[in-house]
Amino acid sequence: MESVNVKKILDAYFEGTTSLEEEKRLQDYFNSEKVADDLVQYQPIFAGLKVAKEERSSKAFTLPESKPKTIKTWWYSAAAILVVAFGVGSFYFSQPHYSQEEKEALAAFEKSKNAMMLLSENLNRGAEQLTFVEQFTITKEKIFE
Amino acid sequence: MDKTEFIALVMPFKDRLYRLSKRILVSKDEAEDAVQEVFLKLWSGKENIENYKNPEAFAITMTKNYCLDRLKSKQASNLKIVHSNYQTSENIEKKIEANDGVEIVFKIMETLPEQQKIVLQLRDVEQFEFSEIAKMLDSNETAIRVTLSRARKTVRDAMIKKYNYGIG
Repeated sequence: MESVNVKKILDAYFEGTTSLEEEKRLQDYFNSEKVADDLVQYQPIFAGLKVAKEERSSKAFTLPESKPKTIKTWWYSAAAILVVAFGVGSFYFSQPHYSQEEKEALAAFEKSKNAMMLLSENLNRGAEQLTFVEQFTITKEKIFE
Repeated sequence: MDKTEFIALVMPFKDRLYRLSKRILVSKDEAEDAVQEVFLKLWSGKENIENYKNPEAFAITMTKNYCLDRLKSKQASNLKIVHSNYQTSENIEKKIEANDGVEIVFKIMETLPEQQKIVLQLRDVEQFEFSEIAKMLDSNETAIRVTLSRARKTVRDAMIKKYNYGIG
């Protein structure tokens, strides 16, 4: 390409009015071996842009395992609910619970138990007193013999 | 859309997203992370991606926004992006060594304002049409041309200055 022509395109380039095709021509010209002496100062710009284009990402990107993850979390929550439900349930059912009738019977039972206890206590007290009578009999026999 | 289909869809423009991220974020690691992040976002919204006429343009817009956000949050927390890389691959490293001028161009490009960096990247490196760039950046062609012209002139002027003073 003629250097006069290049200069024209170059001026347009700096004004931002070149087409992609013209820019491609500039690229090719400045990255070729024969660049005119008065244009050589622009060469690094186009060489730099060419180098910039060759850069590559060196890291592989990773995607999260989205599908299995959602299933897993779903299972976790289901399992947690089951455990909690089981805990609460077993606690509830381990507590004895009676119907109204049974409760009344139980209260009656407690009352009669107390009454029996009272009776037997008093009976015992009476039995204790009997030992004195027994002692009296023994002493009396000793004296009268 | 399953994994294989998704990868087949996004793989062709992975390097493009990486180069754009690197142009904005400068750091190689940051750029790799940005690409990964953008792909994850695309993957989680994969039901929508099929509705877009041009998934690549959509991905580029996402990448640009993500990188700019990243930059903003870094600046807000007063953290400088640490980048220990300049060489990108052995191949490119050799080329840079062979041509100091190229290295200077890269350094100059780093100093451009973000918007100019992005436009220069999308046009001069990735060779997109102005209409495509305008859509990606939610702008219009005239504004893109103006930004591009500024970026190109800045690079040129900085280049010539360095050459004249014999630096580099």
